[in-house]
Amino acid sequence: MTDPTPNDPLLLDHEYDGIQEYDNPLPRWWVWLFWITIVYSILYVLNVPGIGMGAGRVAVYEADVEAANAIRGSGEAVASGATDSALTVMSGRPDLVAAGATIYGTRCAVCHGADGGGIIGPNLTDAFWLHGAAPSEIHRTISAGVLTKGMPAWDRVLTPDEVTQVTTYVMSLGGTTPAAPKPPEGERHEPSVEPEVPPR
Amino acid sequence: MVPTGFVSGSGGLCPQILTLPLGDFMTSPLESFSYDDAIVRKFLTATLLWGVVGMLVGLVIALQLANPAFNFDIPWLSFGRLRPLHTNAVIFAFAGNAFFTGAYYSTQRLLKARMFSDTLSTLHFWGWQLIIVSAALTLPLGFTQAKEYAELEWPIDIAITIVWVIFAVNFFGTIARRRERHLYVAIWFYIASIVTVAILHIFNNLSLPVTLFKSYSLYAGVQDAFMQWWYGHNAVAFFLTTPFLGLMYYFMPKAAERPIFSYRLSILHFWSLVFLYIWAGPHHLHYTALPEWASTLGMVFSIMLWMPSWGGMVNGLLTLRGAWRKVAEDPVLKFFVVAITAYGMSTFEGPMLSIKSVNALAHYTDWVIAHVHTGALGWNGFMAAGMAYWLAPRLFQTKLHSIKLAEIHFWVATLGILLYVTAIYNAGLTQGLMWRAFDETGRLQFPDFVETVVRLLPMYWVRVAGGALYLTGMLIFAYNIVMTWRSRPTTYTVPVIQAPRLLPVAALAPSTPPTLGWYRRFLQAAWHRTWERLPLTFTVMVLVAVVVASLFEIIPTFLIRSNVPTIASVQPYTPLELAGRDIYIREGCFNCHSQMIRPLRHETERYGEYSKPGESVYEHPFLWGSRRIGPDLAREGGKYPDLWHVRHMEDPSAITPNSIMPGYSHLLRNPLDFEGIQGRVDVMAMLGVPYGAAIERAPAMAREQAQALAEAIEAQGGPSDLSDKEIVAMVAYLQRLGTDLSRAVPAANQTGGTQ
Repeated sequence: MTDPTPNDPLLLDHEYDGIQEYDNPLPRWWVWLFWITIVYSILYVLNVPGIGMGAGRVAVYEADVEAANAIRGSGEAVASGATDSALTVMSGRPDLVAAGATIYGTRCAVCHGADGGGIIGPNLTDAFWLHGAAPSEIHRTISAGVLTKGMPAWDRVLTPDEVTQVTTYVMSLGGTTPAAPKPPEGERHEPSVEPEVPPR
Repeated sequence: MVPTGFVSGSGGLCPQILTLPLGDFMTSPLESFSYDDAIVRKFLTATLLWGVVGMLVGLVIALQLANPAFNFDIPWLSFGRLRPLHTNAVIFAFAGNAFFTGAYYSTQRLLKARMFSDTLSTLHFWGWQLIIVSAALTLPLGFTQAKEYAELEWPIDIAITIVWVIFAVNFFGTIARRRERHLYVAIWFYIASIVTVAILHIFNNLSLPVTLFKSYSLYAGVQDAFMQWWYGHNAVAFFLTTPFLGLMYYFMPKAAERPIFSYRLSILHFWSLVFLYIWAGPHHLHYTALPEWASTLGMVFSIMLWMPSWGGMVNGLLTLRGAWRKVAEDPVLKFFVVAITAYGMSTFEGPMLSIKSVNALAHYTDWVIAHVHTGALGWNGFMAAGMAYWLAPRLFQTKLHSIKLAEIHFWVATLGILLYVTAIYNAGLTQGLMWRAFDETGRLQFPDFVETVVRLLPMYWVRVAGGALYLTGMLIFAYNIVMTWRSRPTTYTVPVIQAPRLLPVAALAPSTPPTLGWYRRFLQAAWHRTWERLPLTFTVMVLVAVVVASLFEIIPTFLIRSNVPTIASVQPYTPLELAGRDIYIREGCFNCHSQMIRPLRHETERYGEYSKPGESVYEHPFLWGSRRIGPDLAREGGKYPDLWHVRHMEDPSAITPNSIMPGYSHLLRNPLDFEGIQGRVDVMAMLGVPYGAAIERAPAMAREQAQALAEAIEAQGGPSDLSDKEIVAMVAYLQRLGTDLSRAVPAANQTGGTQ
């Protein structure tokens, strides 16, 4: 070792392979922070359910869900507006159908095909329906999903307006001729609404 | 022998000098010996080789995340299999060999003794390299225990245990033959590392073998998760932290030619670190099905760990007092300064990430990936580099080939780290915030998981650039050392050292009897000075600190029944599903997909009801995961049609545009080994999983279920002839996930039957 003054009172006489050690005091800030973390930890433990007054993670979560449900409102109120007649009227509005087509392209086409011919999910262009062919039934199938068959509940992802838009687009698919239609599934229903939009 | 007091009676911080008789050196004869540097040269070579390999695999998997085409559609090169290879190579091959390099060099000199046995040194070296090679072969083949940093299968685990014991015998044998009365702080850290790694490794890897390369963990669900992160966190502590602190305590003062800043800080931060670290593991499991008390203990002990960790940083950086001008001239010190700074940053970040509310945001994201790379690239990588540049001229008895190249390595690698971590911190925060974002209608703002992935891709490319720079640095580093080696002398000179033999402790004159109160005596370091000359006592004290802290958490986790409330509807997997689960493990799906939904509204909104402890009771091993590169799968069952899964496994991006998941089309081609399922069921039954009829006829039951499932897939419009392919097992498993919670309780235990 070169630098340290030999008589430095803080230099210990330990020496290992030429390495020496000072006996410097612990830095004050280090000692204080160590104590602070210890005190913080003790106080924190008092916040744990069973020991102290804390609510616990599940209670906090449940309160969170309750608050969110209050904001979201009830799903039934939304569905009650989606009557057959209202949806039939809306399916005549090209702006709604066009907006629905965009959503269909990003959300639905993966399983039902870009032209509605069906891939993993059923064909949407023929007269055969698994869960009802009435506009309100289609709306319900999209909105609440068919969880047992792998159809997601889209009301968790799409706004009520978006669900309506995509419903009008699906209604418009009826009677079109897809490139590779999937064989019919479900029961035959005569189309209740003649498509007013020309086939794409 | 002149130990100095911690604090004197009245003067506060002025040291008190106690004088002991100098008897030791006077009477014992001088002995001649030499140090074994050949073994150090071997370990240094291995460090460089595996460093390059580990970082190269890291670069490959970074590319795979930026663009899945880099999986090349080859099963054994897919991300799920290479990611464990990267972590194992960097931790156990690169950092492990670096530790052995420095430990073998410094231990001999600090103890004034040659290693206990050259044969053991050689066995240690080749045994360890063989383990690494076997890891590099088995992990890409899909042999894995599915526990992070403990992926290697049971025969390799046994080999690790044997080699570690060889190392321990060699190390403690050297201590027994030492010619230095007291143990220096670096040796304390080596002792703690060797003892604790042995305990962690053995108890986390307990498992029952099914075949030569397949085993099931002895623990299940909550307990398995607890053991894994008790191990995983302390592997960081006792494989990447304490060994490297030991190296720092030797090589830093050597390179800086300055005394260590504070002996008493060494004592306090060593013991507090060893005692507190062990408790911190559960902070990896916040908001999971682990009981909340354990999670809380993990958090508060992590917070208390902050200053003990920083004690090492303070002692390292303040040792440079009066020598900072040398840092400008010497690349060795530059590496050390950045290494210690990176250590300080990651040991501040660790406690911060352990705070539950911070963890709720950061967990499952790239934030944690950035955190560990600050540690691995900065702390471990730069400590190893600085040490190697200091050692190379001494080991090869020549001048370092090029100081200039070492400087270039330093700046290239530093820039690489900066690019890597800034991009990945950014990615972690971005994704964490996107996952939890709600719009004004109370819906998730980014309901499609893939949206949150696409946003990260630019940052993944920056990571590729950063990683490439760091790898470039590694190559320059290796070149520089190899060129140094090439200018070595024809024969190395082996200096003969002379030192007096140690007399037995009993021959020492008794120390002054204590006259002060216990508190004063505690403040004086004399008690610790005594321990330092009693290696056995010292080791036992370390053992006590580690084991007591462990048992405080382990015993309640295993014994308190209310930790894991039973759920009657939770049943074992059917034989086919179990086979599917093992394929899931083989492909390393758990590296990207968690199976643990936390009780946080944005999680239950996205994935479904939060995971309960009782759902994991048959999970040998647990598959909760630690990172969501893809979405959580805990409630995947029934979410999509069977055919969706077939198509998705075949070509993920055809179903989910922009998905970065690799394709698994080989599952549609590979035949399923039905006969092998019986052995899997039998071992599960031995572990206490209540299999009924399946113990007799698992293959037949699996065939029946596979047939039914294959027909369903065909009916949905999918390909025919899948009934004997691996994909049916995989789909059966995925369709089962998380469905038990909502199933009606079966009247009788119809375990193993079709659902």
